[in-house]
Formats: sequence, C-alpha cells, structure tokens
Amino acid sequence: MLSRVANLVYWMARYLERAENTARIVDVNAQLVLDLQSRQAADDPGSWEPLVYVSGGDEEFHEAHGKQASERTVVDFMLFDRRNPSSIASCIANARENARCIRDQLASEVWEQMNAFHLKLQEDDYSEFAQIGSAEYLSRIKGQIQLIYGIAESMLPRNETWWFFELGRHLERADNTSRIIDVKYYTLLPSRHAVGAALDIVQWAAVLRSCSGYEAFRKSRRGQLNLERVVDYLMLDDNFPRSISYSLRHAAFALDCITAEAPHLMDNPAARRIAALEKTLAQSVIHEVIVRGLHEYLDDIQVEVARIHDAIQETFINYPTDGARMLS
Amino acid sequence: MTNLFSRYELGSFYDEMFAQPGVPRQHYARLAQRFGELDGRRELVERQKLADQTFLRRGVTFTVYSDERGTEKIFPFDLIPRIIPADEWAHLEAGLTQRVQALNAFLADIYGDQRILKEGIVPRDIVETSKHFRRELAGFKVPRGLFVHIDGADMVRDEHGTYRVLEDNLRTPSGVSYVLENRQVMKRVFPNLIRNYQVRPVETYPNDLLSLLLHLAPEHVPEPTVVLLTPGVFNSAYFEHNFLARQMGIEIVEGSDLVVENDRVFMRRTDGLAPVHVIYRRVDDDFLDPTVFRKDSLLGVPGLFEAYRKGNVALCNPIGTGVADDKATYHFVPRMIRFYLDQDPILPNVDTFLSSDRKDLDHILANLPKLVVKSVNEAGGYGMLVGPHATRAQIEDFRRRIVADPRNFIAQPTLGLSRCPVVCGKAIEGRHIDLRPYILNGETVRIMPGGLTRVALRKGSLVVNSSQGGGSKDTWVLGDDTVAPTPAEQEKVIV
Repeated sequence: MLSRVANLVYWMARYLERAENTARIVDVNAQLVLDLQSRQAADDPGSWEPLVYVSGGDEEFHEAHGKQASERTVVDFMLFDRRNPSSIASCIANARENARCIRDQLASEVWEQMNAFHLKLQEDDYSEFAQIGSAEYLSRIKGQIQLIYGIAESMLPRNETWWFFELGRHLERADNTSRIIDVKYYTLLPSRHAVGAALDIVQWAAVLRSCSGYEAFRKSRRGQLNLERVVDYLMLDDNFPRSISYSLRHAAFALDCITAEAPHLMDNPAARRIAALEKTLAQSVIHEVIVRGLHEYLDDIQVEVARIHDAIQETFINYPTDGARMLS
Repeated sequence: MTNLFSRYELGSFYDEMFAQPGVPRQHYARLAQRFGELDGRRELVERQKLADQTFLRRGVTFTVYSDERGTEKIFPFDLIPRIIPADEWAHLEAGLTQRVQALNAFLADIYGDQRILKEGIVPRDIVETSKHFRRELAGFKVPRGLFVHIDGADMVRDEHGTYRVLEDNLRTPSGVSYVLENRQVMKRVFPNLIRNYQVRPVETYPNDLLSLLLHLAPEHVPEPTVVLLTPGVFNSAYFEHNFLARQMGIEIVEGSDLVVENDRVFMRRTDGLAPVHVIYRRVDDDFLDPTVFRKDSLLGVPGLFEAYRKGNVALCNPIGTGVADDKATYHFVPRMIRFYLDQDPILPNVDTFLSSDRKDLDHILANLPKLVVKSVNEAGGYGMLVGPHATRAQIEDFRRRIVADPRNFIAQPTLGLSRCPVVCGKAIEGRHIDLRPYILNGETVRIMPGGLTRVALRKGSLVVNSSQGGGSKDTWVLGDDTVAPTPAEQEKVIV
C-alpha cells in the first residue's frame, strides 16, 4: 500500500472517530448541565467552557470568541466552526476530503455516505441544534458516523486499508476516551461536590452514557456507580470497546496485521510503545491514580498516544528513502 | 398535441433530432415518443432532479480554477441522449482510425528521419517552433513503436450535418469518466429506453485502456506494475483520475509517491519501495521531471526522464506527442494522411488559417469579427476569441496579440455547430453540441462506441468546455440491427 494512501486512511479514521467523540463530549456536558439543580448553574458560562479545554481547542476558541463562553458559542465552536480543527464539521470535512483522495481504495458506498453527511452538515448551524435539542441532534450525528463505520465494516476487504483504518480509529479512541473522563474533572473541580452524593452518581451515569457504556457497566456486575469503578471501567475494562485498554489492544492488533506481510517491520517502535503503554495501564491501581491526580494521569496517556502516532509515521509513512527496503 | 417538443424551434442549424419541425429523424422517433409521454413537464423535471442528485451523491464533479469558492461542481447533465445510428458511427470509426494511424506515423517520422519535413509536406518551422517538440527525443525508440496512445478527437457537425474534426487531443485527454458515469445514470433514469434502443455498451473502456498500458510495459517484465500519475486532488480532472484508477485496479500516485533509484522507478509503500513499469500520467511533459523540464515543478519525479530514456519505464502518453496536436500542426493532418497512408482523408478538417502564414494572416486580420481565433497552446476553451460574440475591445486585444506572436494563433470560420434538444428548466430548446470520441491505439485501434457529447448550455454559445458553462449528454451508438419501431410496436413499448 502507498505510504501516502495509508496515511490518508489512517487520518480519515481518526477524524471520523474524533467527530464521534466530539459529539459524545458535548453530549455528556449537556447532560451534566441538565442535571445541575440550580438554574443559575445551568446558565453559568463556566458550565460550558471546560469543553474547549478538554478538546484542546482553548486557544482557537479564545481567539474566535474572546472570553465569552456560553452554551451557544461553545456548541457552535465544537460542532460547526471550521476554525476549530476538531469541530465535527471540520473533522467530517477532513475525513471526506481524505476519502475523496482515496476513493479508489474505498467501497463507493463509504465515500457516498461520507459525502452525503458532509453536505448535510454544511447546511446545519446552532439554530438547528437548538431547535431539535441536543440529545436528539447529537444522536443523529453519532448515528450518521456509525452508519459510515457500519458500511466500512461490511464492505472493506480486510487488507492494509482496513488495518490502517482500524489503527487510526482505535488510537484516536484511546485518546478521546481519556478526554471524556476528563470532562467531569473540569466540571466538578470548581464546585467540589461531595463524592458519593446523589448528584455525583447521576453525573457518572452521564459520563458512562456518553460512552454508550451505562448498560454495559451495569451488566458487568461492577456494583454501585462511583468514581473509582467508572474510571476503572472506562480505562481498563478488557471487554468494553470504548475503554482505553481495549482500544490500545485493538490498535496493536491492527499493527500486527499490517506487518504480517512485511516481516522486516514486525518489530517496530510503534508496536513497542503501544505494548509499553498497555503494560503501564494494566499495572495501574485506579485508587492510587485518583489520589495522585486523575487529570495528570490522563494527560500522560494523551502524550504517550501522540508518541505512538509519531512512531507510526516514521515507520510506515515518512521513512527515509536511503536504506529503505527494495521490494521485488 | 401538447408534446414537450411542440414548441421546439430548429433554428438555422443542423438539428440532431428533428429533420423538420415536428418530424423527428428516424433514429430519434422512439425517443420523441417516449419523451412525449412524460407527464408534461413535471415528470421531466423530476427525472432531471433524480439524475442531478445521483451525480452529486456519487461525487461526479470537476474543479473550476477561477471560481474562488470552490472547488467542486457537477458537470451539468442533460437527459436527452444524443443518438448516432450504426452507419454514421461506422463512418466515424473508419475516419478516426485512419487519422490516428497518420498521426502516429507523423510523430515516428519527425522524431526519426523527418521525411515529411524534407519533402516539404509540413513546413519545418511549424514543427520546430512548436512548444511541445522535444529535440531531446530525436531517435528515441518508443515502446512498440507507439507515439499516439489515446486520442480524444473533438468532432463537430456543420450546417449540412457533415462530421468534421475540430482538433486532436493526444495528451491523455480527459472526459471519458463522464461518458461512463452518464451511462450509469441513464440506466437508472431510463432503463427500458436504453434496452429497447440496443445501445452499444461503453463499459469495456477501462479494460481496453489497461490492456493498452500493459502492452507498453518493458518486454522483459513478466508481471508489470501500472500506475496512474496525477497532479493531485486539486486538479480539475481528479475525479476522473481516481475513477479510472479504480476501474482498472491500479494505484493512483502523486509525484511524491515515486522515487528513482539507479534509473528505475519505485513507489513508496508502507513496507518499502516497489518497482513501477508503466505510468499512465495525467501530468504534462513540463512537470514530469524537474531535473530536465520545469525546475519549479513539485508534481514531478526527479530522474524520471532518464529512467524513461533507458526503457525501464513506459509513459502513456510518451513525451513530445504535443507537437502533433498543436492547433497549427492540425492544419496539416489531411496531408499526413495522404503522405503516410496514401489515402484520401475520410473525415474533413475545419478550414483553418495560420497566422504564421503571410497570406492567411492578412485574411485573419481583415475578418476577425467573423472568425474563431484560438491560441495554439491553450485548451479547455481558454485563450479563445469567438468573433461574432466578441466586443470590439476583445477583438482589438486579439489583433495585437496575433500580430505580436503569429505562430501562437490560428483562426477558423465560425461554424454553425449542430444542435440537439436540451432540457432548459421547464422548456426544451436547441443547444450546440460537439463529440469527443476516445480512440485507443495499442495492439489494435479500439474506439469506444460514442464518446462524450458536450453541450454549450448558454443560449447561443458555441463553447462546450466544462470550464465555460458546458454540460454533457449520454451518447448512444446504435447496434447494427436497431430499426425504427413499427406503429404497432410503438403502442406497446413500455419505458
């Protein structure tokens, strides 16, 4: 597979996954705000601003809107603003642009669905979101993206294209799940609600729901909802497909499949880094992580995922021509 | 009869569909009837909408450079097909085959012995002053002796319905993907009509093109690798590049994907460098190799030219073919046919005046308001003056440019191009059309039945290019045994 094409597929998957998680992040926040009992808190600009920090877009946001964080400006920024590279509109436009470059590698249905979704998003704005309501609007967005995944899953041959798609998707998901967990950290920090209070439980339920993990958590028989158990579940659960551990394991599997046909690349820095991060996670004790600082811990995961990304680029995409293997 | 065509005006042009007002030509009779049955304008508008949506959804688009906003547009598609009966097509096929053979002989000659120049049939300076003549390739042996691989010859019909060649396009002409997509859409919108007409299929083109490309590969390579080289996603024809690569099952590469090591071409893959043997390139000569041609080219591949010269990689089309589709060289194609093939040209040219010729120049300058003037090196309808539609200032501008650089211009009488009915909103009106057939010159000459019929959608316009407000129609070449339906048959035709 061409390196450039592999990179386009990989980024296409990352953009799609990021768009979906942006929808989830906005969704969890909308639910948290709804659950705040005092009317005042719901209207508090501070209720929405954390999102731009979590998504890493605070600089762009303050450039575009100054200090004026409101539901409207934040939602607009996260969903529709093309100045925000992580907004859903930007992610889908980029994913679609990548798909356009590699239409020959994708099933035409994948491209057509992505194109249709992009064209639809172009027409939407905050008023559409407000009119339909956040839950309904965001579930439509998620549905559209899952439709693309579904088509890809049932149409794409399991060749390198597919595995680079899987690699990008799971690496992005590992990063994004860490950010979703972080939303609650920001939301809670200023007000210092009592841990274990009714509101706290409602909020952790919202975090789980935004990862589509509420029922799964319940069925996993982990007992009562609380901070430790939810964080443990979203970070370390072996079977939950949005957990960080699960995502890393699948990224590693995708890498193995990519190098299966190229034994000279079997041992590569990206694979080593993923394995190391998986090990770190497996050895973590959530109780201690929380005591030492969950936010910092999540930050470290994001930094390490970025290093894995760099290693993938150096091994498969931007390798130097001198000394590269000549194939026959 | 309140038929859709009842208000259709023929004008003073050759009309493809109607012999006289209200009387369709025989091969259009069934179509006229079918469209007549469409429930007034509503169904027509609906079907047009269905077709347009299909194109947009499938992303069948082209890029317009001058349009700031953006970038992708659908190539407007008209529902009424252009129909070519079998005997007309046989005539075109014979004429185009002859023309391609003569053009190939011409290129072999001017990069070889130059007999045609020595004998004065084609003036030496026309060839040597052509921007696309590549001295570096004198004596170079192209794979299989083929200089012309694909010709997209632009054909028009004059007031009498005579087909004429307007220009040749030998440098990987574009548009064929629209032919294939148009047919797919027509099959959805009018499935039964196509079947009843026994339209000859166009779908084998990608396969024929791949056979041609494999035929060009270095002979010692058992399983050659073919790639399509594109300038990239921002190129106006990118949709087509991608489409063809997909249809042929070959990699689509950009210049940065290719590297040359030891005069051999490789592509950068995730697992290492893989050899490449044939490049179907949609990049102009000038941009192919920055070490030989334009130094500022970022699209090209350093060292490609040397790999090509050593015979390690084949290029389709070869370097230097542009000298044969130069708009001034065009004038001499009928002479080439006589010279190399000893035959009379089957398809006439359009009369052409060369401003590099003293006598012609006087004629051109005296008649600018009546003529169409074209810059010899421009394509896509750019750099063109349509005298009868031009302002005085535009005419004077061209006058200055012609006098300053006579070799760069040719002029032709303004043709009354044939017209075909076109859906214009809720009405049907006549618009000028042309035809670009695609001729593949490999082991044998293969011509896709039909080609791209382009429509000048602006009322009265003669410019059919997509960049200038043109659209297209599906082109139906009929099988030999298609006959006009009998009245009894007509009754039960279900479409």
